[in-house]
Amino acid sequence: MGRLLRSRPFEPATARSFPTQMLKRVALFAIVALYTAFAAGPFVWVATMSVRTTSEISLDHYAWPAKWHWEKFAQAWFNSNYNVYFENSLLVVASAVAVLTVVGSMAAHCFARYRFPANRVLYFVIFSTIIFPPQITIIALFQILVQYGLYDSLVGLALVYVAVQLPLTVYVLESFFARIPGDLFDAARIDGYSEWLIFWKVSLPIALPAIATAVILNTILLWNEFLYAVVLITDESRRTLPLGIQRFMGDQLEDVGMIATGLMIAIVPVVLIYMFFSEKLIQGMTAGAVK
Amino acid sequence: MASLVSRPTGVRAGAATRVDRQPWSAIVLFLLPAFTVYTALTAYPVLRTLWNSVHTVLPHSARFAGIANYAALVHDDIFWRSVRNTFIWSCVSPVAEVSIGLLLALALYARIPGRRFLRIAWFTPVLMSYVVVGIIWVWIYNYDWGAANAILRAIGLGRYVQAWIGDPRIALPSLIFVTTWMWTGFNMVVLLAAMHSLPSEVLEAAELDNCGWTAKLWHVVIPLIRPTILNLVVLSFIGKMKIFDLVWITTKGGPLWSTETVSTYLYKRAFEWSTFDLGYPSTIAAVWFVIVLAGVFALTWLFRQRERLEF
Amino acid sequence: MRVLRWLLAVVVVTFASSALGQQVKLTLWSHWAAEKIKRDFVEDAIKRFESTHPDVKIEATWYEKNALYAALKTALRAGTGPDIFYAEPDQVEYMENGLLLDLTPLNWSGIEPWAKEIWTYKGKPYGLPLEAWTVELYYNRKTLADLGVAVPAGLQLSSDAFGDLVKKARAKNITPMSLGVGDRPFPGAFLVHEALVKKLGVAAYTELLEGKLSWSDARVVDTLKLIRSWTDAGLLPTTFTTLKLGESHTYFYSNPGAATFLMGSFYSSRAFNPPDKGGEPPGFQVGIMQYPAMPGAACNECRTLAVGGSYVVNAGTKHPKEAIDFLNAFVDPGMANRWLEEVVVQTGVKADLSKIGGPHAAYLKDLFAADANAKYFFGLPSQRMQGKPREVFTQVFNNAFPAGTIGVEDAVKQMNAAYAR
Repeated sequence: MGRLLRSRPFEPATARSFPTQMLKRVALFAIVALYTAFAAGPFVWVATMSVRTTSEISLDHYAWPAKWHWEKFAQAWFNSNYNVYFENSLLVVASAVAVLTVVGSMAAHCFARYRFPANRVLYFVIFSTIIFPPQITIIALFQILVQYGLYDSLVGLALVYVAVQLPLTVYVLESFFARIPGDLFDAARIDGYSEWLIFWKVSLPIALPAIATAVILNTILLWNEFLYAVVLITDESRRTLPLGIQRFMGDQLEDVGMIATGLMIAIVPVVLIYMFFSEKLIQGMTAGAVK
Repeated sequence: MASLVSRPTGVRAGAATRVDRQPWSAIVLFLLPAFTVYTALTAYPVLRTLWNSVHTVLPHSARFAGIANYAALVHDDIFWRSVRNTFIWSCVSPVAEVSIGLLLALALYARIPGRRFLRIAWFTPVLMSYVVVGIIWVWIYNYDWGAANAILRAIGLGRYVQAWIGDPRIALPSLIFVTTWMWTGFNMVVLLAAMHSLPSEVLEAAELDNCGWTAKLWHVVIPLIRPTILNLVVLSFIGKMKIFDLVWITTKGGPLWSTETVSTYLYKRAFEWSTFDLGYPSTIAAVWFVIVLAGVFALTWLFRQRERLEF
Repeated sequence: MRVLRWLLAVVVVTFASSALGQQVKLTLWSHWAAEKIKRDFVEDAIKRFESTHPDVKIEATWYEKNALYAALKTALRAGTGPDIFYAEPDQVEYMENGLLLDLTPLNWSGIEPWAKEIWTYKGKPYGLPLEAWTVELYYNRKTLADLGVAVPAGLQLSSDAFGDLVKKARAKNITPMSLGVGDRPFPGAFLVHEALVKKLGVAAYTELLEGKLSWSDARVVDTLKLIRSWTDAGLLPTTFTTLKLGESHTYFYSNPGAATFLMGSFYSSRAFNPPDKGGEPPGFQVGIMQYPAMPGAACNECRTLAVGGSYVVNAGTKHPKEAIDFLNAFVDPGMANRWLEEVVVQTGVKADLSKIGGPHAAYLKDLFAADANAKYFFGLPSQRMQGKPREVFTQVFNNAFPAGTIGVEDAVKQMNAAYAR
């Protein structure tokens, strides 16, 4: 399949293989189209439902919107606390990502650039927690936060998020920091820079692409995080978006239309981030997964 | 990192350090914040969970219980059911997600038009939170008006309509289908990047040898991207071992524990059963932790060994 | 001069001490955020209490039940919780862990003894049993008339007659019974336990729930087989497993409408709302009858009486006296009557039945008629069972068995195994 379609300029398609070539091409397009419908279909469906009212939806679940009820977004935002949920998510994620970036890059820089006896051991200690299932810490985290009065607070949740994403951040950044040529550091040292300044003025600026990747990755992962939020936050006014989505799932008939609107409010920021930063994101993720 | 350039010994305060004298104060400074967070919110909780597991932990007291919790766990058939479910999920998913992702990556590698758009479209499932995905798929699986049954009815296969997440026999496969839907796109993107980073000479050499495309795939491309495939398999395995959100939103472990995973069972024992005791759920967590680690090590060892045998 | 100074001092001290007799603030967390009638009742009670006790202020926060339980569990663990909160008698974990205040000082002579009994743990009472309810079989009068099913004078169909009703309704494409377990762990089990309590009688049923009687007992198996024959004939909605409690109400009386509805008598707290808020449509005629009689039953007049929403006091409260005073304000025939007339559901507080009036008096009359001559078993299975048996009971008899996804033998096996350890 690859051979036939990666057209080599010097080899004309022979008349005999043309039908088979066409057939294979059509088959390929069919598969691609089907899979695209499969992957993106649910998203499009929810998008259409988000601008229809629940009664319209009950009549026909799959109709294209006849009337576009954009006011539903305003309703969700202003009347149903979605602005609160959005703000809470924004606060928690922004602060967690900021702290993660600073703390993570400091640690990554240290692991990458300094040789000291415990280096690999300590790095492994932090990195290995990536495979820890959240269950091993969640109960104790609950107890700890309660003990220190951080339970049901955005600060507590943000701190937990920092701990949760630290291994991944250090991992992504460390491999990048390690690739920076050593001469830059030596030159800086000769110029009399202190270690902190070397980090601040040499490492960080060069590592910006990796940092950007880490920031985007952490933002997406934490924006969607649910388990820690559901255990550690109860009050309505402190809910993050993933918790808040359940707002419309009340006692009575499911308000499908409003839930769909709420889902869109949760999805669209992430999709936008991905659309603008997809290159960086893939570079970063593949830097980790690809060897 | 050692420099070959000779340098004057530092005289000024705060001047350049010699390469062979470790700047310990700087090292400690750099590592301190990370390790503070790590110790307080990762290492200590793990230890505390282990401590909990040998106690009965109540709101105002904690009684030492020895291995009573562990003994009770051995006989807890709901727990073992959830372990089984989670393992089935973690073994089936990587196979499905990575293989389909591989095929898709090949399709895109063949340079069809609209690649950029397709990459975004196929990636959207991954960007959605499990909560969002769960809600959407509960609607899709709705018996009366969900897309799954609607499509079956529309193409004349109406007698195959099911209560996808209401029937204990197919609830788990239905959920596995959902996570496959989510993660295949991610695997595709990563594998595609891996393929693009392959040296083109190798691929062209294979072409000149006139291999069929299946042979080329099997003997050239796959071995070269094996490390990436391994990473994705391990990532998928770990991810499914942890899964909670999707089950919680869709079936909450029902019907009849057919979708009960270790994480949902643990949450229920800790926060929903008629007891305040946190000791038993901690026992579940401790045992599960060991099982997950064992699984990951087994998996990587399995793949590593094969690699060595190849060469 | 000295007298004046003395007077001034007295005046100052008096002001100071009255300022010191300051506001006592009590916090109250409750379920019923979406049940306006009950919520209004309690808020009204708060206003009355505050007017007679000017130095006490009560701040109420309203939750949905599951959210309330989650918030309470964590707040109580943290040692912070509200002074007064909503609880149901199945939450023994509160009492086991000493989290509730002993309510012996309440005016128990004004409360039904069975209600006090349900809230008694180790000899002491811990809750004010405000809401009590029975399981009733509501029916659409018009639909049953159309189907040609006559409800006998004793208000109880025989099991054959009921089976007949199921067939007739299905033949006309009407769902025979509305029921849904989407968001609660008890409605589906109504089908099973109401039948079992009749077939076995109170004593044997108690043994069954406590694990002293095997579920393989012939009477139990026969009853389950009978119910299975009904569900196989299409008794329940196809959306049974996902239909929510609130939705099952509208399924019964508006959309799409069912012949009968097996529900607790708190039916009224949703049904009597305005139609656009989930209530009965105008002109809807609801009837109440008893759960069908079981063949060869020990006690066809036996039924479940459960205590529902109650108020308890946090053991760690700083104002136990004021909290108990507030709860005592409910223990009054006038309050009980008002509860019956407005909320239209039973209560554990003794009421003066001769004086019941109000807009729903006819409904109440029907309700008491359906409960006439009843012998009660106190408490739902989920209130009487703990731990593993309760979990298995919920999964099997609330969800799977009525939905038809588990057979009688398997169900029996699972229940027996649950008690085995």
